[in-house]
Amino acid sequence: MMHIDPQLQRVLDGELPSDDLTPLQREQSAALQRAARLLAEAPVGSVAERVMAEVRRPPLRLGQRMAQWLTERHAVTIAVRPIWSLALAAALAAVAVIPSRGPGPVLGEQEGIAQFVGRFPGARSVEVVGSFTDWRPGAVVLRDDDHDGIWRASVVLPVGEHEYMFVVDGERWVADPLAGRYVDDGFGRQNALLFVRPLAR
Amino acid sequence: MIGTGVLSATDREPTDGEVVARVLAGDGEAFGIVIRRYEAGLLRYATRMLGHPDAAADAVAEGLVRAYRHLATCRDPGRLKSWLYRIVGNRCRSHLARRSTSDLSLDDAPPIADPQDSEAATERAEQLAQVERALETLSPEKREAFLLKHVEGMSYEEMAAVTGERIPTLKMRVHRARAALLEALKEYE
Repeated sequence: MMHIDPQLQRVLDGELPSDDLTPLQREQSAALQRAARLLAEAPVGSVAERVMAEVRRPPLRLGQRMAQWLTERHAVTIAVRPIWSLALAAALAAVAVIPSRGPGPVLGEQEGIAQFVGRFPGARSVEVVGSFTDWRPGAVVLRDDDHDGIWRASVVLPVGEHEYMFVVDGERWVADPLAGRYVDDGFGRQNALLFVRPLAR
Repeated sequence: MIGTGVLSATDREPTDGEVVARVLAGDGEAFGIVIRRYEAGLLRYATRMLGHPDAAADAVAEGLVRAYRHLATCRDPGRLKSWLYRIVGNRCRSHLARRSTSDLSLDDAPPIADPQDSEAATERAEQLAQVERALETLSPEKREAFLLKHVEGMSYEEMAAVTGERIPTLKMRVHRARAALLEALKEYE
């Protein structure tokens, strides 16, 4: 590899003046600065419309699906997460795989029910945001009716893979510690992954 | 009543922190200010990183949408620029990791000279293509280091915020990137 004198490196870092550079160093400095100037030309094009279209897209409406969940028949639960203990995990797993005989939503062929369960003692609120809510809060709120610190919610979701996070007290984003699968969120943290399977009919 | 005698935010360009606060308060349109402010630089950075304008546009668009959706997690809105570059940089790295070696590169797609262009513009386009080819021979880490330092004009502190690396590591990377680029430029002369 070509050698660059440490003095020139310091000049290029702005730590030394350029007065004492040798002709070779000046030539190298000029070549690098010329390259930087050429690369600094901004390419034409814009993604503004594309991005703003996403920004303006209204959040998914889960309310109707939740209403179905409460009023119509037959449900099957799939997937689910954080668990307080192995016993609770086993109980939840049992619930998750046994088709419900009680009231529940009518699911499309490409829909399933995801249950979200998390242990957050002392939390004032817990919700789930994810790819299925467009990462907007307010759509899936967990409840802890018996105040035991275990928060739950069930939602109908399209079959397939979904990324999600818990939001505790409206400000603390927590990746489900027991999700098992995670994906880079694009800026150094991990989202939990949930896979909703189609209902076996 | 509008105009109470207090200097309003419309009298001057809002700071990044003010724009972020507006968006988080529900004014999604204010995110357009963020786009206008940083889009050109982000597109330039991604284009130079990926060597392909379409892939760069995808990386920047995906990055900005992610930034909008996760804006509440931007802990220091005063450093929004570094945060955006970090997100887009991560998108670029993911893209480079996924991209197969058979993908189109700048070597395969030299700029097309418009016959209407002046001789000077054509020459400049050829020089740029030469520099882009030289840049593409650098590893992604060195390429990123050179671009952030010399094209985006960041300080080492800003680069550390963007990349998550320590300043001595970045200095070493920039120094090696300069040497590697000079060598590549010589080969392409």
